[in-house]
Amino acid sequence: MKKIGKDMVFTRSRDVVSREIDGALIIVPLTSGVGDMEDDLFSMNETGTEIWNMLDGQNTLQEVVKSLAQRYRSEPGEIEHDVAGIVAELLKRRMIVEATTT
Amino acid sequence: MKQPPLEYPYHAMKKNGMSLSVKAVIELMQAVHAKGLPFRFNAGGHSMAPFIRDGDVICVSPLASRAPNLGDVVAFIHPETKLLCVHRVVSVKRDSFFIQGDNMPENPDGMIPRKDILGRVTRVEHAGKMVRLGLGPERPLLALLSYCGLLAVIRRYAGPLYTNFCRSRVPCEKN
Repeated sequence: MKKIGKDMVFTRSRDVVSREIDGALIIVPLTSGVGDMEDDLFSMNETGTEIWNMLDGQNTLQEVVKSLAQRYRSEPGEIEHDVAGIVAELLKRRMIVEATTT
Repeated sequence: MKQPPLEYPYHAMKKNGMSLSVKAVIELMQAVHAKGLPFRFNAGGHSMAPFIRDGDVICVSPLASRAPNLGDVVAFIHPETKLLCVHRVVSVKRDSFFIQGDNMPENPDGMIPRKDILGRVTRVEHAGKMVRLGLGPERPLLALLSYCGLLAVIRRYAGPLYTNFCRSRVPCEKN
């Protein structure tokens, strides 16, 4: 797998449906050709939701980390490590893709 | 530099196991249908037994350009309760559909406009096996029996027969 860099920009895949419902972010992957609420449904906590919303094809990962660091108290490198973790997980599940630069 | 007051909570992504409101299920179904794909979820209740039983997993496909036909099992938003219902079309009148649960002839849903119909059931799974009966060419006959209230009567006396149908169910293929 390609190494995830701070300057990389990611965007949400077209093969997912995501909705914030009743204060929770719900993600339904569509890669299997069906929206599967039984076996393939994900929910995010508040931090996951914030990161997901910033993966919009505009923000670099560095900007995502910076935005979170302005809102939350943390140890040095903690947020960076967490963002890299969720990005790796979302990439593995094909819920996000690297944004193409024009 | 002053640190923000909130401590950073690590992200958490949870798979399955969440209980969603009816509103959430409808919203997700509509979003998935907007992409032209079916929506798979767990059905509750006994109003469509034995064809759909409590806890069966069903697939609802978008209607696209094809209106529901007589005998189709459809998912719709009940105009009064605003709940998500999965019942059978037993009569068709232009762009409205008379719908009722197979076991509820005394309490039909009434005429439902097409705009309230979310999609048609295209697959039923029970305990990991596909249930074929109820969605095939027998649909118009089932609609007629349901409309006359006979389906509920037949169900009452056909328990052992249905067990045989259960045995003939085929394992579900992986999508």
